[in-house]
Amino acid sequence: MAKRTFLLVKSFMVIAFKRETAYRATFLSGIIGQWISYGATFISLYILATNFGQVDGWNGSEIMVLYSMSLLSYSIGGIFLFNFSTGLSRRIRSGEFDDSLTKPIPPLAHAILSSGFNVCYISHISISIMVFVFSLISLNYSMSFVNCVFIIFAILSGAMIQAAAFIASSTMAFFTVGNNPLIDFIMYDVKEFTNYPLGIFPKGIQYILTFILPFAMMNFYPASTLLNKSLPEGFPTFLPYLSPIIGLIALSLSVFLWNWGLSHYKSTGS
Amino acid sequence: MKKYLIIIQKSLKSESAYHSAAITGMTSSLLTYLIQIFLWHALLGAGTQNHTNFSEMLIYVLVNTVMIELTKGNVANMIEASMIDGSISVELLRPISYKLFTLANLFGKNVYNAVIRALPIITISFFLIQFNSLPDLTHLALFIMSASLGIMLMFEITYFVGLFAFWIQRCWFLSWYLSGFLIFFGGTKIPIWFYPKSLAQLSYLLPFRYITFEPINFFLCKTTVEDAFWPLFIAIFWLALLCIFDRFVWRFALKKLCINGG
Repeated sequence: MAKRTFLLVKSFMVIAFKRETAYRATFLSGIIGQWISYGATFISLYILATNFGQVDGWNGSEIMVLYSMSLLSYSIGGIFLFNFSTGLSRRIRSGEFDDSLTKPIPPLAHAILSSGFNVCYISHISISIMVFVFSLISLNYSMSFVNCVFIIFAILSGAMIQAAAFIASSTMAFFTVGNNPLIDFIMYDVKEFTNYPLGIFPKGIQYILTFILPFAMMNFYPASTLLNKSLPEGFPTFLPYLSPIIGLIALSLSVFLWNWGLSHYKSTGS
Repeated sequence: MKKYLIIIQKSLKSESAYHSAAITGMTSSLLTYLIQIFLWHALLGAGTQNHTNFSEMLIYVLVNTVMIELTKGNVANMIEASMIDGSISVELLRPISYKLFTLANLFGKNVYNAVIRALPIITISFFLIQFNSLPDLTHLALFIMSASLGIMLMFEITYFVGLFAFWIQRCWFLSWYLSGFLIFFGGTKIPIWFYPKSLAQLSYLLPFRYITFEPINFFLCKTTVEDAFWPLFIAIFWLALLCIFDRFVWRFALKKLCINGG
C-alpha cells in the first residue's frame, strides 16, 4: 500500500516537473524573477530593521530569520498545494473536478495529485534557505544537533500549517462558483502579519495569530526559541514546542473541513 | 479621446458587478493598512526618524496603496491570453490604438478597485493623521502633477514590459521582475529616505522612484518648490523615452506576430 502510494505520488511529480520545465527559458527566467522579487522584500525588511536598529527587539538578521522561516514553510506547502488550492474553483466550473470523485483514491488526494505540483517554488525555497543560513552565520549562531532537529521540526510544522491554510481556504470553492477570494485573503493578507515580530501587534491580534489562525506558530514562536527571545507577555514558554501538534491538528481540521465542504458539493453539470 | 473614455467607463462598470470582490478588497486593504499602522507605531511611536514621523508614514503608505492600485496591471498576461485564443487578431483590426485600448481597459478596472480600497483606509487615517502633515496648495498642485506623471509612467512601463509577450509567449514571470524592481528602486515598501546612501543614489538611475516616491515627497513637502523642476522633468523624460521605444518594439512585434487560428 505504502509502496503503491509512493509510486503514484512519484509519477504525478515527474509529470509536473516535465510540464514546468518544457519551456526551459521561461522556467529559468521565472526562478530569477522570483529571486529578484523576494530578494527585494528581504532587503527592504533588512534595511528597515537596521535603520531603526531593531523592530520590537529583533535586529536585522533576526528579522531575516523570521521572514525566511515563514517563506520556507509557505513554499513547501505551496509546492504541493498551490495549484490545487487556486485551481479548484476553475476545475469545479469546468467539470474537471468530477473526475476526482470517480477515482479509487480519496477525492482530496486525487484532486491534489492531479492538479500538479508547482515546481517554481524551488526559487522561494532556495532564497529562503540561503537567507536563513546567512542570517544565522551573521548572528554567530552556534549550531548544535538539538537545534538542527528543532529547526527541521519547526519548518515541517510550519509547512503543515500552511498546507492546512491552503486546503481550508480552497473549501470555499464548493460554495461560491465564482473566484475564491478567501485564498488571497488568508495566504497573502493575513500571512503578512508573520513578517514582523508578534510583539508589535495588540494582544487581541496576538491571540488570534496564536490560537485561531496559528500563523505565529509557523515562524514567530520557533524563531523566538531559536534566537532566545522572550515571548510577548502572557504567553507560556512551552508554546514553541507545541507547533508540531498544532500543525497536525490544523491539517486534520482542514481535511475534515474540506470533506465536509465536499459533501455539500453539487456538480455544475458542465 | 472620447472612445477611450467610453472604454474606461465600460471596464469600470463591468468590474463593479462583483459585489463580493468589493467586500474582500475592502477587508484586505484594511488589514494590510492595520499591519502598517502597528509596524510604524512600534518603530516610530511619537518620535521621528530621518525627519519622518508616524503621521507622515501613514500618508506614505496611504498614497502608495492608492497609486499602486491605480496602476496595477499585467499587460503581458493580457497579450499572452489573447495570442493563445486568437482574439488579438480582432483587437488589432479595431480602429483604435492597441496601446490606449489596453491601458484604458486596465485603468477603468483600477479606478474602481482603488476607490474601494482607499475608502476604508482614508476613513481610519482621518483619526490618525495630524493636520500639519498635510500639504499647502502649491505642494498639493505639484503632487497632483507628479502623481499623474507617475501613473502614466507606471502604465508605460507595464505596457513596454508587456510587449515582450510577443516574443516569449509564456510570460507569467515578467511581472515578478517588475514588482521586485518597483519595491527595491521605487521605494514602495520602505521609503528611500531610510535606504543607505549608495542604494538611494542607484534609484536615481531608474524610472521607478518617479512613480510613487517622488509624488509622496511633494505631498509631504519634502521637496521644496525650488527643487520641484527636476523630479517632474525626469519623469517626463522617462515617459517620452519609453514611448519612443515602445513604438519600435511594437513595430517589430507585429512583424513577429503569428496567430495560430484561435
